[in-house]
Amino acid sequence: MFSENFQLHTKMSWLKNDLNLKKDAGYLGLSVWQSPGTLYLMWGFLIIFLIGIVFWVAGDSVDPVRLVITEFLVISTMLVIGNILIKTIDKLARVNRSKSEFVSIISHQLKTPLTGVSWEVELFNTKYKDGLTEKQREILKNIEMSNAVISRMVNDLLDVARIDQNNLFTKKEEIDIVSVIRKVIEKNEVLGKDNNIKIKFLVDDNMPKIIGDEKKTEVVLDNLISNAVKYNKRGGEVLIKVSRDAGKATISIRDNGIGIPKEDQAMIFEKFFRSDNAATQEVGGTGLGLFIAKNIIERGGGKIWFHSTEGEGSVFFVALPLV
Amino acid sequence: MENKKILIIEDDANLRNVLEEFFEAEKMLVKTASDGESGLKSLRDFLPDVVLLDIILPKKDGYEIIKEIKSDEKIKDIPVILLTNLGGLNDIEKALALGATTYLVKGDYQVKEIVEKVKEVLET
Repeated sequence: MFSENFQLHTKMSWLKNDLNLKKDAGYLGLSVWQSPGTLYLMWGFLIIFLIGIVFWVAGDSVDPVRLVITEFLVISTMLVIGNILIKTIDKLARVNRSKSEFVSIISHQLKTPLTGVSWEVELFNTKYKDGLTEKQREILKNIEMSNAVISRMVNDLLDVARIDQNNLFTKKEEIDIVSVIRKVIEKNEVLGKDNNIKIKFLVDDNMPKIIGDEKKTEVVLDNLISNAVKYNKRGGEVLIKVSRDAGKATISIRDNGIGIPKEDQAMIFEKFFRSDNAATQEVGGTGLGLFIAKNIIERGGGKIWFHSTEGEGSVFFVALPLV
Repeated sequence: MENKKILIIEDDANLRNVLEEFFEAEKMLVKTASDGESGLKSLRDFLPDVVLLDIILPKKDGYEIIKEIKSDEKIKDIPVILLTNLGGLNDIEKALALGATTYLVKGDYQVKEIVEKVKEVLET
């Protein structure tokens, strides 16, 4: 615990320093002339000067002194502008990196107590469940569900930070995709109860295993299936199919919900993007799910895409490599 | 699983106790340690069939422990299952390169799934 806190403390102060914009306020000063980029430009300047000499020696009318002064002014201006740009980009990149690191440190700190709640509830439900009243069981179930919601958000934030830092790991394990889908469906049936939404599942016989990260694939499918339930119309249907072709398993998830407006379709996998018609549905969402889904699936060698018509519904496809 | 020896090196008391209860229910012989140094000592004295190892630990971290396991003839073949909430690419690649058998991100698994993973490792 000490080492974690210490790590957090040092990272926090580093972050504070990083955000201290005053520190680099002198970048218009002499430091410009000491940057490595300047050195290359000085060589360029020298070469232009030498070319001028050559022209002059060859009897051309170019005056080397004027040429040098002009080039000096042009290059100096370019240098100053260039350095300002480089410094600004560098600063933005650093702020962005600090933000990602900050998110991953905080999320990591949150994960231990969240895991604690989840495991303690599981222990309760396994070893100490005898003699519990119906009400007590219901309360435990609610604790479990609320904890799962927070854990999911923390995991999403961590995944986004990892994607930003190019630090997302996906396992390559053999997965029984059919049982993963069944598990996710079971979870989402509760979600669809209020709006009377039915989930149907059709699967090819003898579906072989796929290669991927079991837990992360589950997250992706949960995302797609819960979207299909959440954005469906009352009494609607979600149809899930799994089929195999040419070394791939293709999962399709079809709903007859609100659909995605044509003008939003190109941005649907962007980070934090939520379509206007989704945001006005009073359905919670962070705009991170599809962004994470695309990154996870593509990192595992798969593909994700969709067709959608506003007002009629959407169908999302995920293709994953077979064993 | 019965009578197999498992060592759990985990600094969070809650998590450690839950794991201990689950593995005891499997009739395994369980020993726990709450920091790296005592964990390593238990590894050498208890000689478990498998070890569940956290990464961020007081006194000696999980990476150090794997290095010491792999360089000690007496314990180098004990399978190491890393059980941690660090789940970035750099963390996992580092642990696997050092010789960890497998890597589980704590928050992603229910305890009964971890028990299953331990079973798989013990059977291979």
